[in-house]
Amino acid sequence: MNPSSARPDYNAMSDEDFRREVRAFFEREYPPYLRYILHRARWHDMKEWWRKLYERGWIAPNWPRERGGMALDAGKMVIYLEEMERHGVARPPDQGITQVGPLIMRFGTAAQQEHYLPRTLSGEYIWCQGYSEPNAGSDLAGLQTAAVLEGEYFVVNGQKIWTSLADDATHIYLLARTGKGTKKQQGISFLLVDLKTPGITLHPIRNLAGHEEFCQVFFDDVRVPRANLVGELDDGWTVAKALLGFERLSIGSPRRPQYALNRLEAVARAKGLLDDPGFLDRFIALKLDIEDGAALYGRFVEQVKRGEPLGQDVSMLKVWTMETWQRLTDLLIEAGAEQGVVAGVHDVAGVEADFLNPFYYARPATIYGGSSEIQRNILAKTVLKLPG
Amino acid sequence: MLQMSVADFVARGTDLARVRRLRGTSAEYERAVWKKMAGLGWLGILVPERYGGLGLGLAEMAIVARGLARALVPEPLTATAVLAATALSGAENEALKREQLPRLAAGDVLPALAWQERAAELDPAAIETRAMPFEGGFKLNGVKRFVAGAAQADAFLVSARTTGGVVLLWLPRDAAGAQLDLEPLADGRSFGTLRLDDALVPRSGVAASGGAALEALGRAFDHGCAIAGAELAGVMERALEMSLDYLRTRVQFGRPIGSFQALQHRAVDLHIHKELASAVLEEAVAALDRGPAAPARAAAASRIKARCADAAARITREAIQFHGAIGFTDEFDAGLYLKRALVLTAWLGAASWHRRRYARLSSGVRT
Repeated sequence: MNPSSARPDYNAMSDEDFRREVRAFFEREYPPYLRYILHRARWHDMKEWWRKLYERGWIAPNWPRERGGMALDAGKMVIYLEEMERHGVARPPDQGITQVGPLIMRFGTAAQQEHYLPRTLSGEYIWCQGYSEPNAGSDLAGLQTAAVLEGEYFVVNGQKIWTSLADDATHIYLLARTGKGTKKQQGISFLLVDLKTPGITLHPIRNLAGHEEFCQVFFDDVRVPRANLVGELDDGWTVAKALLGFERLSIGSPRRPQYALNRLEAVARAKGLLDDPGFLDRFIALKLDIEDGAALYGRFVEQVKRGEPLGQDVSMLKVWTMETWQRLTDLLIEAGAEQGVVAGVHDVAGVEADFLNPFYYARPATIYGGSSEIQRNILAKTVLKLPG
Repeated sequence: MLQMSVADFVARGTDLARVRRLRGTSAEYERAVWKKMAGLGWLGILVPERYGGLGLGLAEMAIVARGLARALVPEPLTATAVLAATALSGAENEALKREQLPRLAAGDVLPALAWQERAAELDPAAIETRAMPFEGGFKLNGVKRFVAGAAQADAFLVSARTTGGVVLLWLPRDAAGAQLDLEPLADGRSFGTLRLDDALVPRSGVAASGGAALEALGRAFDHGCAIAGAELAGVMERALEMSLDYLRTRVQFGRPIGSFQALQHRAVDLHIHKELASAVLEEAVAALDRGPAAPARAAAASRIKARCADAAARITREAIQFHGAIGFTDEFDAGLYLKRALVLTAWLGAASWHRRRYARLSSGVRT
């Protein structure tokens, strides 16, 4: 399965040809009932889709060909993501592909690469991220989960929280404190842990939408082989930090708000709200906020396509896109009036509308991936050069 | 390249002391500086090459306007080299174009476009000024308002209605029956009010008529909106730079005030608005240079004007607040930027007007 020799060099294709091929595949193969779902996709929803992507050699657009990836350059990667978003293709529980896989390639040993990468690609291993703790959220380096080296094992004690889809996962990648340093970013190590290891318990947390998308993960004398350390001991912060840039671009893509805008416009039209000048003024301001945000996004995309690294200024995209998305779902609720607070899908003069789920879905967008406040701190210091 | 020559011109040829000296005067701007701008080719950017211009696009004009606006250069670039130049370039009267466009590009004649008649009425076809056929020409009656660049204008391109439709006419400033009054603006410049009382225009002064006249006026308005947006971009950029410099250096409570998170986050939001405006300006100007049909042209122009006006309004108002009491003094320059933004925002349609026009064009909404 997945022979890299038979795979075409996608980067040699023209952008148009590549886009056409990706679009055709998504339209043909992606299950229609999973388009634009309003919650994080679960493994049981997505495993068939994972298998289709895997069999086509498309599950890892960012991985090199010799590892079974598509090896897309930045320009082609943007097209791939744009087509996913255009068709409303959900992200599968893909942290193994987007996060830990690339880190293992860069910092892992040959044995770790040989063991983990093929299993991650095939979906045998599904990963979740063990970073945040109850007292280490925005201040992640304040984490306290301890990993004490005893012979050939780390003994891990502590708890992680806001671990998305942990109950779908087979493995967790973990930041834990292994030593002390002069700075709190020092003395942290990056570990790979099998969730079946004795001493691990999961407690799902119900979110505002009523979904159990994230968990608390407790570690009670969990013995992790020393061989599962990625990178140097006490140097896990370097490993974790290596994953930036592209993620902040895709997180700031205008497609999700654009989809929400189309729903809002359909509902507003069906209810005759566009004839109300007060509503219209707010609606059109939001529409322009999204379209103008897309112009800003386009600038960063061009930068990526030219092969230039993204600077810290890409944070502004996340702030703007996510906050605009929220304001849009606020107006959607308002457009629904009494129906806006009734759960479920409504028939609004022939238009199907769900008011509450988009609202809930947009809420954490200004919290995860670095809150809006953290992004503003970054921009103030690194882009505006304001004093600390 | 163009950007550098604009920056060089601003550094050597103009300063805010000149802006202060000219504000509130009936001169408003200097013909000598206007000639220098002509010498650099800027007045002919939008004039086709066969009429002595450079035949370039709005992208180039936006670079010049943005750079000059950073220094609040009072010469009427948008009013004359965009609005009047676009209207005249789109006219049908070849003899008139061959005569006046090279002179406009050379800075030897400075026309202004007199099209608007009522506040907040921005449809170029909303014309009550009458042009009555008279002895081989037209006799004009009516009042044109809010004419930018009028202070030292040598001629006006006047829109009027005849029994047969709309005409666009070339009217020398000193024509009998034409009287110009100036209304003082917040930024020290003025709007002209052109009163036409049996003003005579010979047939040779008919620049365009019918559909061609309306098309020329519509394009001039949209291009004017786009370049007014570029001016607003320059104004907001400089105002934000001033604010950030102040945040970095002003010390209170023993620390630079820019170290306070409350101010940092506000500054970041202004920066985001500035970047949005700049991204929209560049994207939509490029779209305009591809020569879209009238509805797409109008939508692109409105997008620019709406975003740039709102961003500039926000940034220049916050500039006053960031600077505290000094920001409220006439002596300090932040106020000059606030006032320029005020005028550019109101001129050629406020943000809310442009958003509604955009709604009509993009969502087919009746407003």
